[in-house]
Amino acid sequence: MLKSAVENGKSTNARVAVVAAGVVSPLGFGLSETLDSLREARDCVTRVTRFSVAECRCKTAGQVADERLLKDQPEAGRARRLHRASSMMIYALRETLAQEPQFKPELTVIGTTSGGMSYGEDYYRSLYRHGSLRDSPAWIANYPAQKPVIDAQETFEISAPCQVIANACASGTNAIGHAFECVRSGRYERVLTGGYDALSELVFVGFDSLQASTPEKCRPFDRHRTGMVLGEGAAILALENLDAARARGAPILAEITGYGMSTDNFHLTQPDPSGIGPRRAMERALQSAQISADSVDYINAHGTATPFNDAAEGKAIAELFGRVPISSTKSMMGHSLGAAGAVEAIICLLALQHQFVPPNINFRAPDQLADLNIVANEARRTALRTVLSNSFGFGGTNASIMMQKFEA
Amino acid sequence: MSLAIAGMGWITPLGNGVDAVWEQLLQGYEAIAEKMSEQFSNRSYNAFRVPESALGRLAPHPRLRRASAISRFAAAAGLQALQAAGVKVEPQNAERMALVFAISNGGVIYTKRFYRDIVEAGAQSASPLLFPETVFNAPASHLAAILGITGATYTQVGDSAVGLVAIRMAEDLLTNEELDYCLVVGAEEVDWLLCDAYRRWRLLRLAPPVEPFNKTARGMILSEGAGAILLSRKGPIMIAQTDAGAHYRKRTETEEIVSQTISNLAQTEVDFVISSANGTFIDEAECRALRRIIPDAIVYTAKPAVGESVGAAGLWQVILGAQALDRRELPPLLHVTSTIPLRVPASRTALTKARHAIVLSCGVNQQVAGLRLSIP
Repeated sequence: MLKSAVENGKSTNARVAVVAAGVVSPLGFGLSETLDSLREARDCVTRVTRFSVAECRCKTAGQVADERLLKDQPEAGRARRLHRASSMMIYALRETLAQEPQFKPELTVIGTTSGGMSYGEDYYRSLYRHGSLRDSPAWIANYPAQKPVIDAQETFEISAPCQVIANACASGTNAIGHAFECVRSGRYERVLTGGYDALSELVFVGFDSLQASTPEKCRPFDRHRTGMVLGEGAAILALENLDAARARGAPILAEITGYGMSTDNFHLTQPDPSGIGPRRAMERALQSAQISADSVDYINAHGTATPFNDAAEGKAIAELFGRVPISSTKSMMGHSLGAAGAVEAIICLLALQHQFVPPNINFRAPDQLADLNIVANEARRTALRTVLSNSFGFGGTNASIMMQKFEA
Repeated sequence: MSLAIAGMGWITPLGNGVDAVWEQLLQGYEAIAEKMSEQFSNRSYNAFRVPESALGRLAPHPRLRRASAISRFAAAAGLQALQAAGVKVEPQNAERMALVFAISNGGVIYTKRFYRDIVEAGAQSASPLLFPETVFNAPASHLAAILGITGATYTQVGDSAVGLVAIRMAEDLLTNEELDYCLVVGAEEVDWLLCDAYRRWRLLRLAPPVEPFNKTARGMILSEGAGAILLSRKGPIMIAQTDAGAHYRKRTETEEIVSQTISNLAQTEVDFVISSANGTFIDEAECRALRRIIPDAIVYTAKPAVGESVGAAGLWQVILGAQALDRRELPPLLHVTSTIPLRVPASRTALTKARHAIVLSCGVNQQVAGLRLSIP
């Protein structure tokens, strides 16, 4: 519903609260397990079992266990018919709504990169090999990218309009950023946001063909980094106008205070080596939050561990922030693409709530290209007030969100 | 807030350019279907394709060298919209324009080719050149690079209602006073694989005609192309109201959700409706809802003439609505029977006093959205 302030062409600049959150990822089912994995610096990357990786350089990924995913669904029979991306979204939304059952969103903004891609693969393989197409109507109906979002909403009888953003690896952060701006502008009071992606053969082989994924450990910002590993998951945040949330006595887990995005037109898959794209996104997030760079206490970096990304991002961070503590939690769970920004926003939320910085595991030697303060291999207890989360993607899309500990 | 159309671009199987397509529709022409087949199947389908010659006017650009058809359609439509508005993106204003891209199936031709190599010859045959083009936001990235947009760029995915959902997002973005314009582009390319999928989903008929609002839903014909509108705060055609959208759970709920959308948009006078009727189950839902809520409005759909372009469809409908308001007439609705219980334009119909139109998009995969166009 439009608010009168906006109808008059004015921006309200409302404060935006995170009032509930839910997550499933290789780090764990739910916030509590995720927190444990972060504190204990667990390596949650394992050998891929969903499809053959015999011909790929990379053999590993961060994976969500199917047995538990299905076991934990409210309607097991229905869950078996849905794409596993839907099951992940349902899990994350259920955890969110368990904290805030009264949360009724006016809009849902979710990021993804590949929707129900594995159903598209099943369909094509069956066609090509003249196999059974008995299940094809279900594959086709559950393939579209908006379906897991609608499935999750339907499970909990939510009927908010959906905006599904597919901005490659920045999708999750773009979704949260856009949702934040929708609430901040006063146009909406409550928005559900986040991201999801499920591992698929096409995407796995795609990154392998680009030699962006590594046969070794994922070592973000390490001098000898050799590439990324993929991951999967879903994460949801319930955003609400802070005044409205306080008026109804909702818990305020944190505030989102800024969002910046940029598009660098350098190349479809490679960042501008100058780091201008990430730098602009981070500068805009600072401007949006109306704070200076020295107010930022921690950065959850995009940090894919590809030589190009980490060089460009590291350069931009070093130039803007100096030696602020940074880590890439993709080292523990892989790169979950459209889910990444949302899962990492949850990680930032947990870091703010529990006053620690999560680790960048598998780190051995600093890269001489940029002087960075890497949170190497172990979580650190520290006082945190303001944190930044970065996501950058194919197509030159760069997004950063600023999150802050709630102080009344 | 005030939202207006400053410029439009349109490429369809009926032609390239707003005026060219509009003239074809006014004359009552429909696109010529092309037969599509696949080497590993004996099934063949018909689809409305954009002829290669239609892209002949598109200036070469390094980003388009290997790009799929969908990216070239988007570039053609996006450039037309900016040209029509007399707007140039310069380094000093490159951040003051946002791009919102609507898509449904995306770069399906390269995606199929990329995965075919994996299935036929194994992962080691996968092409690193094709993979980036399979990503949903590749067309938006190419378009941003061609136009020089460096600020906000979003790709939205959905069914054939996604174009209107994208316009709603553009409206959200334009509440930010740091933006002057938002270019909204919807694009789609067609492939045998899509035809086969929609056929198995019981939504596609094997050959034209598309019969709108027919009692028997015989199915749609897929098509391809792009539509673009440049949104600003001032212009001759206003987007007076956007509906944020909704979704239906089952097909039996479609009419109810469509009715809600129409009711939201029909609080004031409505002269005509650009419907999304495409020969499928949505026609009956729209027909019943329109009859009940705004029985006097004239109802038109261009899908018998240009097909169902899914991700591009919503933008095409908005262009149609704006063009009809501006030119004060509607093209003839093709392949109608006399039993349709709606006011439809059986021939070119003058709209001398028309000032308000509803654009209604009901997708086949659960999404519904709408907006209201007005002449100030």
